[in-house]
Amino acid sequence: MVSRAAAAIRTRPRRERESEVLVWPDLVFIEFISAVLFSIALLVLSAMVNAPLLNRADPDTTPNPSKAPWYFLNLQELLLHMEPAWAGVIVPTIALVLIAAIPYWDRDTDGQGVWFGTKFAGRLAVFGFTASVMVTSLLIIYDGSLHVIWTENIIRGTGLNSDFQWPGGLDWFRNLRGLDTGIPWESIGFTIGGFTMFEDWRAIPLGIPGTTTDPWLLNLNFPSFLSQQLVPVATMVGLPVLFVLFCKMLGWVHTRRDIALLIFSAFIGVYLTTTIVGTAFRGQGQDLKPPWDIVVLEE
Amino acid sequence: MAEIERAPRKSLNEQLYDLLFKNYVWQSIFRTGYPNTPRNQMLAVATNVFLHLHPTRIHRTHVKITHTYCLGGLSFFMFLGLTVTGVLLMFYYVPSIERAYQDIQELETNVRFGQLLRNMHRWMAHAMIILVLLHMMRVFYTGAYKPPREFNWVVGVVLFILTLLLSFTGYLLPWDQLAFWAITVGTTMVGSAPVLGDESKFLLLGGFSVGPNALIRFYTLHVIGLPLVISIFMAVHFWRVRRDGGLARPL
Ligand code: HEM
Repeated sequence: MVSRAAAAIRTRPRRERESEVLVWPDLVFIEFISAVLFSIALLVLSAMVNAPLLNRADPDTTPNPSKAPWYFLNLQELLLHMEPAWAGVIVPTIALVLIAAIPYWDRDTDGQGVWFGTKFAGRLAVFGFTASVMVTSLLIIYDGSLHVIWTENIIRGTGLNSDFQWPGGLDWFRNLRGLDTGIPWESIGFTIGGFTMFEDWRAIPLGIPGTTTDPWLLNLNFPSFLSQQLVPVATMVGLPVLFVLFCKMLGWVHTRRDIALLIFSAFIGVYLTTTIVGTAFRGQGQDLKPPWDIVVLEE
Repeated sequence: MAEIERAPRKSLNEQLYDLLFKNYVWQSIFRTGYPNTPRNQMLAVATNVFLHLHPTRIHRTHVKITHTYCLGGLSFFMFLGLTVTGVLLMFYYVPSIERAYQDIQELETNVRFGQLLRNMHRWMAHAMIILVLLHMMRVFYTGAYKPPREFNWVVGVVLFILTLLLSFTGYLLPWDQLAFWAITVGTTMVGSAPVLGDESKFLLLGGFSVGPNALIRFYTLHVIGLPLVISIFMAVHFWRVRRDGGLARPL
């Protein structure tokens, strides 16, 4: 049994002196130049654009919209679509743990040390990124009910029905919360062995009576659980699985590295889309707005 | 007649060079002149406290700009720049809710180059986050996390989290509406954790909402706690790059 350290040394490529260059001057020079260029660029930027300073902090006047720093707006965006515990804590924690775990899962050394070193790397990255940008945008449009607004406007615009309304039968498809509010849960029920399931979907008893005092454990608000937890989480798990299956079908996925490439690229796509939407497309009440229509009110 | 062998007269240039670089004080700092032989160049790297983070020679492909785009190095450079501008900012800033906002205003209006200083610190912080993210992408797409570099990737993830936390704790310090509400939104997210949510939020803020206690906590974390921790992780990160045999390349 070779120790890990020894194995690491063994897998290290043999030194080929001819293909090596000296750090001084070759690398030190590049580092120096890039540091100078960055310093100049940042100096110019700082001379031209001032860091924002608004009014003094006032706990009694809430800006609308209130936003976290831009690098957390992806999480704030998630917050609009699911239970806060998922969006603010569980999802980012799982994402970071999964990212950190990549090297322990994808271990073969194929294509190491070169950009897109494996056969399908390029297209997996492009596909993963593009598809996830599109799918994420569609999901945001759906949960922002833009499809409802657009359909109504288009049909009204054609003149066929100038006060067309989104049909009540499709209320469940207005947005994610539609699964909660747009379905007549009270009238849904079925009977098993003489018991009616469930008389009240919003308070499904979970605990065994008398064993717990925690009310959260006793009752489940199923419609809310469905729209704020089950569907969002199933989407976040299901879509990546679909992506992988689809690319397998295309014959692009053979190794773990391929899966990692696909999912990581898709992750970058989601990260970027949610950050941009959260930063530039969320106005008052966190409604979707084009960037030029966004004003911050103090309330 | 014996001709006396005399050293040729030195040109003005050479005299000037000697005066500047061959004097007692200069040579007490830099013991040798410009390293112009390969041997001396390697010695320069190996014996200089700043340069010795590097190996003395590296593989040809790794000095190509397009291999790393210098992203890791530039992330580190941002950290250095932030430290310098941050120390200067500390001269003018007092972390109390009575003074914080006013100090920033006065820094911008009364201090020479104060506005520029603040801008530099702000934009460098943003740049660092973007650079770290891009660095992570470059490492990923070059497959440089694979064995034996697994652990350095994990160290990298920790560095990314620390970078975000550094920026987040700094965000509150100007004590303006932007700062106050951004931190309120951010810490509310922390509070929604299913376990220990309220407790973590209380620990972070030193109370139930953003106030004087939160300001002093964020300040302390921002100027000393997190920089110390991130420095340690960076030291490990750089050391591991060396120990793992330099940058990854095809086997
Ligand atoms: C404060 C943040 C960071 C700093 C200052 C930093 C600095 C560096 C530097 C200077 C290098 C040498 C090569 C290069 O410049 O690309 C490097 C390599 C590396 N970094 Fe980072 N890094 C940071 C964050 C990260 C993150 C977020 C990750 C990944 C999650 C990461 C993973 C790696 C790995 C695996 C290598 C070895 C690359 C190779 O062998 O080609 N680092 N880092």
